[in-house]
Amino acid sequence: MSDSAISTRIGEPVRRKEDLHFLTGKGVFSDDVSLPRQAYAVIARSPHAHARIRGIKTAATLAVPGVVMVLSGDDLRADGLKPIAHMPTSTHHAETALVNSDGSEIFTAPRYALAIDKVRNVGEAVAMIIADSVAAAKDGAEALEVDYEILPSVTATVAAAEPDAPRVWDEARSNVCMDAQVGDPEATETAFASAAHVVKLETWAQRVTGVTMEPRAAVCEFDAATQRYTLYTASGGAVRLKEDVAHVLGIASKAVRVVMEDMGGNFGTRGEVYPEFILVAWAARRAGRPVKWTCERSEAFVSDYQGRDLAVTAELALDAQGNFLAMRGSNIGNAGSHTVSFAPLKKGLGIMSSIYRVPAAHFRARSVVSNTMSTRPYRSAGRPEVIYVMERLIDLAARKGNFDRAEIRRRNLLSEAELPYTNQFHMTYDNGAYHKVMEEALTLANWQGFERRRIDARKRGKRRGIGVANYVDTSTGAPRERAEIIVHPEGKIDVVIGVTENGQGHETSFAQLITEWLGVPADDVRLIDGDTDIVKVGGGAHGGRGMRMASLVIWNASKQIIEKGTRIAARMLECDPSSIRFDSARFIVEGTQRTVGLFEVAAAAGQLKDLPDDLHGSLSACSEEIHHVASFPYGTHVCEVEVDPELGIVDIVGYTAVDDVGRAINPLLIHGQVHGGIAQGAGQALLEQCHYESETGQLLSGSLMDYALPRADNFPFFKTGISEVPSTTHPLGIRPAGESGTTPALGVVVNAVVDAVAEFGVRHIEMPMTPERVWRAINGKQPPSSVSTSR
Amino acid sequence: MPVVSMTVNGNSVSGEVEGRTLLVQFLREHLRLTGTHVGCDTSQCGCCTVHIDGKGMKSCSVLALACNGSSITTIEGVAVDGKLHPMQQAFHEHHGLQCGFCTPGMIMSALDMVRRKGNDLDEHTVREQLEGNLCRCTGYHNIVKAIQAGAAAMKGDATPATQHD
Amino acid sequence: MYDFEYHRPANVEDALKLIGERGEAKLLAGGMSLLPSLKMRLARYSDLVDLGGIAELNGIRRDGNALVIGAMTPHAVVAASPEVNSTIPALASLANGIGDPLVRNRGTIGGSIANSDPAADYPAGVVGLGATIITNQREIEADEFFLGLFDTALAPREIITAVRFPIPRKAVYLKLRQQASRFAVVGVFVARMGNGARVAVTGAGPSVFRVKDAEAALARKFDASVVKGLQIKQDNLSSDIHASAEYRAHCTSVMIGRAVTAVS
Repeated sequence: MSDSAISTRIGEPVRRKEDLHFLTGKGVFSDDVSLPRQAYAVIARSPHAHARIRGIKTAATLAVPGVVMVLSGDDLRADGLKPIAHMPTSTHHAETALVNSDGSEIFTAPRYALAIDKVRNVGEAVAMIIADSVAAAKDGAEALEVDYEILPSVTATVAAAEPDAPRVWDEARSNVCMDAQVGDPEATETAFASAAHVVKLETWAQRVTGVTMEPRAAVCEFDAATQRYTLYTASGGAVRLKEDVAHVLGIASKAVRVVMEDMGGNFGTRGEVYPEFILVAWAARRAGRPVKWTCERSEAFVSDYQGRDLAVTAELALDAQGNFLAMRGSNIGNAGSHTVSFAPLKKGLGIMSSIYRVPAAHFRARSVVSNTMSTRPYRSAGRPEVIYVMERLIDLAARKGNFDRAEIRRRNLLSEAELPYTNQFHMTYDNGAYHKVMEEALTLANWQGFERRRIDARKRGKRRGIGVANYVDTSTGAPRERAEIIVHPEGKIDVVIGVTENGQGHETSFAQLITEWLGVPADDVRLIDGDTDIVKVGGGAHGGRGMRMASLVIWNASKQIIEKGTRIAARMLECDPSSIRFDSARFIVEGTQRTVGLFEVAAAAGQLKDLPDDLHGSLSACSEEIHHVASFPYGTHVCEVEVDPELGIVDIVGYTAVDDVGRAINPLLIHGQVHGGIAQGAGQALLEQCHYESETGQLLSGSLMDYALPRADNFPFFKTGISEVPSTTHPLGIRPAGESGTTPALGVVVNAVVDAVAEFGVRHIEMPMTPERVWRAINGKQPPSSVSTSR
Repeated sequence: MPVVSMTVNGNSVSGEVEGRTLLVQFLREHLRLTGTHVGCDTSQCGCCTVHIDGKGMKSCSVLALACNGSSITTIEGVAVDGKLHPMQQAFHEHHGLQCGFCTPGMIMSALDMVRRKGNDLDEHTVREQLEGNLCRCTGYHNIVKAIQAGAAAMKGDATPATQHD
Repeated sequence: MYDFEYHRPANVEDALKLIGERGEAKLLAGGMSLLPSLKMRLARYSDLVDLGGIAELNGIRRDGNALVIGAMTPHAVVAASPEVNSTIPALASLANGIGDPLVRNRGTIGGSIANSDPAADYPAGVVGLGATIITNQREIEADEFFLGLFDTALAPREIITAVRFPIPRKAVYLKLRQQASRFAVVGVFVARMGNGARVAVTGAGPSVFRVKDAEAALARKFDASVVKGLQIKQDNLSSDIHASAEYRAHCTSVMIGRAVTAVS
C-alpha cells in the first residue's frame, strides 16, 4: 500500500493522479494512436449552405497517386448504412416534457454519415477520400468533382421560423420542427394586466462552439477473422458510441469495441457520435486496413457540434413593491441542419424563472432547423441562456422601477421554507440556502464597497460596473449507470465504470470515494472507463451526471464489498458476521484485537474452498442503478468590469462565485471546474460567436483567427467559494459542479457591463459585447449593416 | 528525399523528410514523440510549443528541414531521470491542468517565459506572456498560479529550464 | 501543404541565384505567416528559399542618427534590444506586441514587411518613422514601399536586407487588438520627428496609411488638442465581422489623440 500520510478521503484537495502522464507528454490522445498499415482519410465537405448534389465524379480523385478509395453517399446507400440514431426527443423523468401544442408529431431529421442527395450546411460531409497519406488524400479531395445545384438557405434563428423561409427539409411542414407551450396563459395574462411594471427583453444567446483544445480524431481497424471493429477515439461516453456505431452499420453492438484513452476536452460538443467515427469504421472494412482521420481546427469549426443559439422574447411583470407577478414569452432554439438534440431548449425552458418566486408563467418554445451545423448541449445546455434572460429582466426591472438590484433579488428569491418548490414549468427544486449563498457572494465580492471603486475608476477615465446573478442548474442526463469494484489481493482496487473521463479528474475523485468507504488510498485505486470490452454499461460524462451517478453506484458496490467481505472475514476470524465492523480497510471483531485486512479477505475469497457461490472467487461487487431524479446546483456570481468609454473595450476586473455543490468530494477540482466554467461563460458574453453570413450561409468565424477564444489576459484571478448544503434528492447529498461556472456567467457579465455604461442611457447590450457593440450602445448607434449579427 | 538531422532531448536523430514536413510532424510521426500536440492550424493555440536552440517556438509553423543541426527540447525531455521539473511539479501542485491537451505547450511556454522574464513573475506578466497558449478547461487561473510558483521554485534549482539554456 | 524543395543558402547571392533559377520560388523568413497559409493550401511554390541561414541579415546597429535592423532579426530580439529601447522605445514596444512571445521568437521584421499584411504592426512603425527599406538592389522609402493589400514595391528578385529607422524625438505605438487573432483592428504610430510629425495607421484599411491632416496640424502645434475630433474618412477602411469601417474610423481618431498625448 502506498504512503497514506496524505489523506485522500472525501473533502480533501487531493492532487490529481492523472497529472503525471500529461505533464511528461505521455498522455494518449486520439491522434496519438496509430496502427500498422493504416490509411488516412480526408473528408470532402460541402462548400455550400444548401444545395442539391447532382452528381459526384471520382475518376480524377482515384487517379491521384496514393489514393485508395473514395466513398460517397451513394456507396453508403448501397451498403445499407442507416441514419445515425440521434435521440433528440429522449427525455428524463424529472424534465419538463415538450410536445407540439397542436398534437402533431415532432419532426426529426434523418442524418446519414455522408450527405445523400442534398447538403444542408457548410461543412456537411459529402465524400471520404482514403489514401496512403494525408497529403495524398487532400490532393484527392481537391480533385473530386461535385456538381451542386445551389439552393436558397437560411441560418438565422428567427428568420428560419418564418413561414416563407427557405425550407431546410422538404419532408417537414416548415422549419419549425417543435412548437410547444408550457404554463398557464390565462393566469399569466391576468397577472400582467394588474402589473405596476412590465419589462421586456428581445435577445439572442448567440451561437458558439466548444473548441476543445484537442481536435477530434479516430482510427479504426476491422478484424476479418472475428468480424469485429475496434475504434480508437474519444467521446462523451464509450458505451453509447459503441451502440451508435453498431446501429448505423447494422451489426450487433458486441461486434464493435470502442477504446478511449485521454480526451482533450468535451464540454458537450464532443458528447455524441460523429459521422467521421462511423466512416472510419465502414472504410476500414472496405479498405481491408485500418483507417485514420484527424480533424484540423478549421475543419472542426464547420463540423463540430455547436451550442446555444436561442432567440428569446421575454417579459416580466412586477407589482409596485417589486414582487414578481408573472413572466411570459417565446423561446426559439436553432437545432441546425439536423435535429441532433432538443435538450438545450427543453432544459432551459424548465428553469426559465430560475430560483425566484414567479406565480404565473406562460412560454412558447420552438425548435427550428436551419442551414447551419447542428447544435447539441454545450456546457450547461440551455441554462446559461435562460438565466441570462432572467437576470437581465431583473436588472431592467430594477432600473425601471428604481429598485436596488440586490434588494429586488432578495425580495423574490425563494426562501428555504418554500422548498421544495415546483415552478410554473413543472420543475421541482430540491432544497438549498439561496439567500445565504447570495449574501456570501455579495460579501466576498465587497458589493457594499463598490461605489468607491466606481469613483476611483472614473478618475482613471474608466467606467466601472458591477453585476450580480443568481442561478439554478438542472442536472439530469442519462439515468443508467453501473460500477464494478474488484479488490485484488495484491493491494489494488479496480473500479470499472461507464462515466468517462474528459479532464474532470475522475481518476482521483472517484478514488477518493473508495478511500472514504473502503479505506484504501487513492493511489491504489485504478479507474477503468474507456474500453467497452470491459465497460459494458454506462452513460458517459454529461449533464452534471459524472460524480452524481458514479457516487451512487460506487457507494452501493462498496457497501456490497463490505457486506461480502464481512461474511468472508467471519469465516476467517471464526465469529459471527454481526460481530464484525469494517474500518479503514480492516474487518474487526468488535471488542477484540482480532482483525483481518480487506486485501487478505480478497485473497481468502479465492482460496477458501467452502465459501458460498456468491463469495467464492474474487472479492468484487457490482451496482447498476437507474436514477431518474434531477439535481439542482445553485449559487450566485458577481462580476466587476471596467469599460473604456471612448473605445468600448471591456475588462473583467473582478469575478466572484459561490456555488453550492451539496457535498464537496475534492474542492481543488471543484474550484478548477468553476474557473473553467466561468471562462467559457464570460467568453460567450464578451468574445465568442459562430458568425454565419446571412446571404450565403458561409461560416465567417472558421478559424482561431476569427473565432475569439478567451486568453489568460482576458481575466483576473477569480474568487470562488463553495457552499455545501446536501441535496435532498441525492442519497449522498451531491450536487454537480461542472456546469456551475458557466450557467450564471453570461448574465452576470452583461449585467456588469450594462451597469458600467448605464449613465449613457444604455439598458442592454447583446452578446458578444465586443468593443464596437459597447461603443455603439454608449453612443446610441444601430448595429452596422456590414456585420451579420441578426438573431 | 532530403535527410534532416537534429538533437532531440539530447539524442541525435535523423530521418528522411519532405520539404513540407513540419517540425511537429517530424516529432510526432517520425520520432513518435506524441507529447507535442497540434491544436490548431493558424498558430494561435500553442499546443505544439517546443524549444528550438533554447527558445520557445511553435513547431507547427517551422519546417523540419529548417531545424537541421538544431537542438530541440520537447515536453518528453523536461523531466530528468523521471523526476518532474519544478515547473511540471508546480502545475501538478496547483491543479494547472484538466484535460491535459494544452499542458505540454503551456509548460514549454512557461519555461521560455522564465528564460525571458526571470523567476519573479507577477500575475500581469504571466497573463500577458501566455498570449500564445490557449486553454479551454482551466480559465487560466491555476495555470497562472502554477507558472508563478514554478518560476519561483526554479530559482536556485539546479534543473535548467531546458537542456540548452 | 503542397510539397516544395527546401533550400537554405548561406548568403544573399546564393539566395538570389536560387530564386532566379527556380520556377515558382518563394523566400522564407520566419515563416509565421507563410507556413500557416501554405498549410491551408492558399499558395503553391516549387521551392522555398530559407533566409534563416544568412548571418549578415541578422542584427541591430546604430548608424548615425538612425537604427539599422537586419531583415532576419526576430521580433523578440528587437523588443529586448538595449539599443532599440534606448533610441526608439516605441519600436521595441511595437515589436513586443506582435503575435505572441513564441511567434516573436521566430518571426522577423523583413518577413513582416515583405508580407504587408493589412493588420500587421511593423508597417505602422516603418511608415510612422519614415524608415528606409534596404534591399539587395536599392533603398526604398517607406512611403513608396507599401502598395496595398499584401502588395509591396519589391521586385521579384529583390531581398530586403535591412530597415533603417531615423531616431525620432519621441514616438508611440498604440494598438486595438482584434480579439481572436490579436492582429491590429487599428494600430496607430505617432512620431515626433525633428522636422515635424508622422502619423501612420495599420489595421484600419487594406494597407498602412498616413494621416496627413493630423500630421499637418501637429506640425503647427504638437498637442492633442489639434487632433481632437479628427475626422477619418471611412471610404477606404475595412469592414469585417470584427469591426465596421465606422468604428475603425472612430478608433483611429481617438487613438491618434491618445498617442499624441503620450508623445507630448
